[in-house]
Amino acid sequence: MSPEAPPLSRRSFLRTGSGAALGLGLGLTTAGCGFLPEDPDAHGDPDAPINVRVDGDLVYFNWADFIDPAVFAGFEKEYGVKVIQSNFDSMEGMAAKLNAGNRYDLIFPTAKWAQRLTAGRRLRRIDHTRLRHADSVFGEYSYFADPWYDPRSAHTVPFTMYKTGIGWRKDRIGDHLAGSWDDLWNVRAKGKVFVLDDRDEVLGMGALKLGLGVSTDDGGDLDRITDTLQSLRPHLRGFSSDSYNNLLNGNAVMTQAWSGDMAAMLGQAKDPSVLGFEVAREGAPVNSDCYAIPTNARHPGTAMLFIDYMLRPENVKKNIEYIGYPMPVRGSEDTYAALVEPFPECLVTADDLKDDLFFRNGSSKGERARDTAWTHVKAG
Amino acid sequence: MALSKRPGPPRPRNGASASGSRLWTWLMIPGTLWMTGFLIASLVLVAALAFGTTDPLGNPQFGLNFDNIAAMADPAYRAVLLRSLGYALLTCVICLVVAYPVAYAIALHGGRFKNLLIAAIVVPFFANYLVRMYGWSVVLSDDGPLLRALRATGLADGDTKILQTGPGVVAGLVYGFIVFMIIPLYAALERMDVSLIEAGRDLYGGPLRTFFYVTLPATRQGAAAGCVLVFLPAMGDFVSAQLMGGPDQIMIGNLIQDKFFQGQNWPLGSALTMLMMAVLFLGMLGYLRRTRKDEAEAAR
Repeated sequence: MSPEAPPLSRRSFLRTGSGAALGLGLGLTTAGCGFLPEDPDAHGDPDAPINVRVDGDLVYFNWADFIDPAVFAGFEKEYGVKVIQSNFDSMEGMAAKLNAGNRYDLIFPTAKWAQRLTAGRRLRRIDHTRLRHADSVFGEYSYFADPWYDPRSAHTVPFTMYKTGIGWRKDRIGDHLAGSWDDLWNVRAKGKVFVLDDRDEVLGMGALKLGLGVSTDDGGDLDRITDTLQSLRPHLRGFSSDSYNNLLNGNAVMTQAWSGDMAAMLGQAKDPSVLGFEVAREGAPVNSDCYAIPTNARHPGTAMLFIDYMLRPENVKKNIEYIGYPMPVRGSEDTYAALVEPFPECLVTADDLKDDLFFRNGSSKGERARDTAWTHVKAG
Repeated sequence: MALSKRPGPPRPRNGASASGSRLWTWLMIPGTLWMTGFLIASLVLVAALAFGTTDPLGNPQFGLNFDNIAAMADPAYRAVLLRSLGYALLTCVICLVVAYPVAYAIALHGGRFKNLLIAAIVVPFFANYLVRMYGWSVVLSDDGPLLRALRATGLADGDTKILQTGPGVVAGLVYGFIVFMIIPLYAALERMDVSLIEAGRDLYGGPLRTFFYVTLPATRQGAAAGCVLVFLPAMGDFVSAQLMGGPDQIMIGNLIQDKFFQGQNWPLGSALTMLMMAVLFLGMLGYLRRTRKDEAEAAR
């Protein structure tokens, strides 16, 4: 090699580079106008019946640490299969992996995402008659027999439920609050209040305080919500979904919080009696995660067996105690009530479900309006 | 003042160097393909998507739509962008002031411990930035060890806080990116001919005068490179503002991240990314012109 060889001119390098890139970009654009391949039938037929038998190892995709490892071990032993785990850290991340063509046998979307995936024909139909324990869910919790996100729960089985309320430090601001979203404006907590770093939860809280629908995308409603939330900003210390650490390390004396996080704190705080959790009388948003089988799953039979296994009473109990979220399964209510005895408001009852304060999917235009409102709330 | 080796005038070509040049061309190919595939192509995708829309499932679609460009006129973005610029500039200045003595001490007085000292600075940065910042947010929290100790010694009162403040965010940025300032400064100081400093002293320059008239100009390029390396990632950062900042410290990176995740609006996120890159590019132009002037001066 001769060190004095003239280097390739930067210009020709750039030209080569951008030409190739442009070709690549155009190739992608003309291929289908969509950013990602959108041919749903490429993923398989959503309506094909699933043959419930062991058809391979279970490829499992969920939030990290969301099932008791002992339950996995039991399933592996009983059915002679392996559980291959991977995790997502957001619903958007999950959807991106699915869109990229990754194949999983079992995923856990929230209600809103279950509706989106069903609409995109990405979920296999689940025949409840093939699940021995289906009746303990659908027979007891009639809400889930025909939920808004998946008519007749044809593609999903509910897994956990949770709701949103206010967590606070009793040792800092007293044992009782007013039981209203107004508590976030409480002067005693000023400067040490957090709200969740979550568009729907924060806009929904403002909407409930004003008596509006939690998923509203009406411009006038959103203006009123933004104004209300602007009045909260001077009280706020931050936007954070880490309620758990914020309360424990003293950064927050009050925070908007998910019931499941509060239940988990009960088990891990040094002195849980300093903590309180309330649900606002104006209403508490509810949400649920569900089991679902993607249409491109390689082992849908094993996935069905796993869902049924998870619904066995002893496994429901183990999981509830492990993750701190209630599950809509007959007979599990006492287990959960005992677990969250200091915070009875963590319970999600049939009445809570009837109020139906789920966050819904909106139109593209509606979502955009909500997003703009959120930017204004967040950026001030 | 030119200190690095400059290539001499080109020698007349012969057969050997022509084949050598072909070899160089071939060696460029893997790098070119890599950059084309993963950097330029993705940039082109981002630029194209800035004119896109989303389908009802929130999936991004290409198109020719100017809504996202119009949406950027929202004053909220301008305010956040300006704040990010301010934080990034401040981070640069603080990094420079803190890193210079460190690099100087190691390069000129490190002796046989030079490499060990550099390793001591670089190795901690192998750990993920997010994890390290998360650790800081625990240490600096209101009931964390630092503030508890300060309160016990009377140096802080019950209202003192470090997290969710502007200085907290800038401190996080400085901590996160200072290594990018130390390394180029170290390289420049290490390369500098020490006899220049001696010459400065011989000419009756005091330590300060020698520093400002000899050492500092000689390492100017290292400082400039360090500033660019710190400024670019600091401007786009969202971790520090997320973990150390409050509602009044949101940076443009946080808003962009929101668009890609919760907002399910990749096109608007892409448009904001392009806006930020345009601002950065304007800043870089100044830097490029400056270095070209330096080179021209050096060539004279």
